[in-house]
Amino acid sequence: MRALLVVLALLLSACAGAQDGKTTITFWDNNGGPGRTPIYEELIKRFEAANPDVKVDYVGIPSSSVQQKYDTAIAGGSTPDVGGVTTSYLAHLAGQDALEPVDERLEGSSLKGKLIPGLVETVRQTSADGKLYAVPASGNMDVVWYRSDRFEENGIKEPVTWDELVAAATKLTNPAANQYGFTIRGGAGSVFQLLTEAYSYSGVEKFYDGGKSTVADPRNAELVRKVAGLYKKATPEADVNNNYTQMVAQFTGGSVAMMHHNLGSTADVMKTLGPERVSAMPLPKGPSGKRTVVPNPTDGFAVFKGSKNADAAWRFVEFLVSPESNGYWNEKVGQIPANTDVRNAEWIQKNPAVKMALGVLEDPATVLVPAPVHLPEYSSITKTDTEPLYQKVLLGQMQAQEFLDQLAAKLTTAQQDWEKRK
Amino acid sequence: MTQTLIRPEVALDPPPPPPKRKKHRDPSRYFRLHLPLVLYLLFTLIPFYWMLVFAFRPAGETALVPWPITLEHFDTVWNGIGFGLFFQNSLIIALGTLVVVTVFALMGGYALARFKFRGQKVFLLALLCTQFIPGAMLLIPLFVIFKGAGLLNSLTGLIIADTAFQLPLALILMSGFVRNVPVELEEAAMVDGCSRLRAFFAVTLPQLRPALVAVGSFAFIGAWNNFLFALMFASKQDKFTLPVGLSYALGEFNTDFGALAAGGVVAAVPVVLVFAVVQRFLVQGLSAGAVKG
Repeated sequence: MRALLVVLALLLSACAGAQDGKTTITFWDNNGGPGRTPIYEELIKRFEAANPDVKVDYVGIPSSSVQQKYDTAIAGGSTPDVGGVTTSYLAHLAGQDALEPVDERLEGSSLKGKLIPGLVETVRQTSADGKLYAVPASGNMDVVWYRSDRFEENGIKEPVTWDELVAAATKLTNPAANQYGFTIRGGAGSVFQLLTEAYSYSGVEKFYDGGKSTVADPRNAELVRKVAGLYKKATPEADVNNNYTQMVAQFTGGSVAMMHHNLGSTADVMKTLGPERVSAMPLPKGPSGKRTVVPNPTDGFAVFKGSKNADAAWRFVEFLVSPESNGYWNEKVGQIPANTDVRNAEWIQKNPAVKMALGVLEDPATVLVPAPVHLPEYSSITKTDTEPLYQKVLLGQMQAQEFLDQLAAKLTTAQQDWEKRK
Repeated sequence: MTQTLIRPEVALDPPPPPPKRKKHRDPSRYFRLHLPLVLYLLFTLIPFYWMLVFAFRPAGETALVPWPITLEHFDTVWNGIGFGLFFQNSLIIALGTLVVVTVFALMGGYALARFKFRGQKVFLLALLCTQFIPGAMLLIPLFVIFKGAGLLNSLTGLIIADTAFQLPLALILMSGFVRNVPVELEEAAMVDGCSRLRAFFAVTLPQLRPALVAVGSFAFIGAWNNFLFALMFASKQDKFTLPVGLSYALGEFNTDFGALAAGGVVAAVPVVLVFAVVQRFLVQGLSAGAVKG
């Protein structure tokens, strides 16, 4: 009897789904929240109006748990049709054979040749088989946000080199008035951010040289020493445990004059301080004078293999990365649109931070040094293994070179293991 | 001399007050005991104070005392982010878990305390062992089972998951409580003509009131605070609970601290209320359950 009831219930629920002849696809937003959900809701409304046969179920997943949520869904065979993904866990998802490669679909699509090659390359590099598993939609770049008003008051120019930044930070510090020139990310996510600083200073152009990590380059160590030297002298003492939220809170709260973060904090920074008090600059150069950039994780959309409506799912992805939607979304969040047709949009001219970042990304002189996010161990090495070591460096309990040597050794081993498995 | 006159009276006085009272007047004792406690209290209260400040202070202000008080953040979380619905979901799940856990714990706890059966020790040991398993390990098996049973994306599913997680501890606690109620009371009632069931309801159950409160409030708070199950088993926005809603308000790049703090207040108030109302029973109940009768 009970079995019969279950079967009946299942039949009923199956019928309910197909009742109105519409295809329903599920879309997981990998960084759901009050800031971004309304933007997607608007885009979904537009998509449904243009595609009356498809209904999109939006689910906003908190970004801090999205990887776990995907893993559970994959293990349980209950993945969405379309998911927002970033390159920081794309390799992991593709490695579980959960995603559809999009190369072929892209070939026959209106998006062909319309995506910033640097971003496409960043996405492609995460996969072991050289296939593209997600369509890049949005680029992010590390920038230094600074209080232009305080710079002006103190007669300081926008720093171009790291030494100028250090000098500016020192000059803007007055602990008695709770004013600091800079803030260091010493807590969660610190090493990833430190590496982008190190490479921007050293001008080292490759993350690996002949299978060996270049992280321990003495020029990188020099930068780590410079940053650690700022700790407590030109930064708040609590910085040793700072994650990004605390960093942003300090900056928007007014006690810090410069903060290295990325375009992701545009909305927060602009909302509290406004364009008249804050500007963004690229990470300063080092003595080499070269502009080397470690690209941020690239955001994009992937179609899941388990999708029963892969065609409708792809149509939705195509729509999200189309010039109008891509422009709309990136304008709202203040990031770099992947669709090159958006480049000349009016809002980019009005958003100096995005314009500056786009300029850096598209400048032929810029050297991209992609971090090895394809290594499954990358995140545990940079977070669990080495974040505490960096804190030791900040507290003066460990030498910068020794710290980088340990990090480099782990990265080299991981890369060699990966080469063997390939 | 007056002194000599008074002395015998002194000898007749009742014995001097117990040393406890004397110590009470000792200022050094006050500092030794109360000052650290007050400091500790401040230390634990500051985060809550901070949360309240952020929740009631207009965005962009830096005042330490929020004045004028604004309710805009509450409006944002309640109407904008949907905490109204999340609150309702959390309440349904927590109350549902409370009822199911309490009923099952009462039945199971009574059986464990009053009857002897084969494998009883092993069963108790197994209950204890379940406490060593972190929830994250159960996630994928539970997910697969729930998917098969069509319980994903449903509040019922979450009540079942929370119940499964809370029940072992509730059973252990409840059997301790039942053991504390003298079995002779029940036997006396049965001699007077009650059935076992009637004896249980008329004699034992009223004695177990603190136990019910303790077990029930633990179940309520456990389910109210459970983040992992709610996040994993609910893939529809309208089934989110408060903890998921809070983490949802904490974006990767942008965080509205006012809204987050207001959400924290909304999530904390029921827990504080529950503790305020039942803490008397809770202390009483816990110590009663702690010692074997």
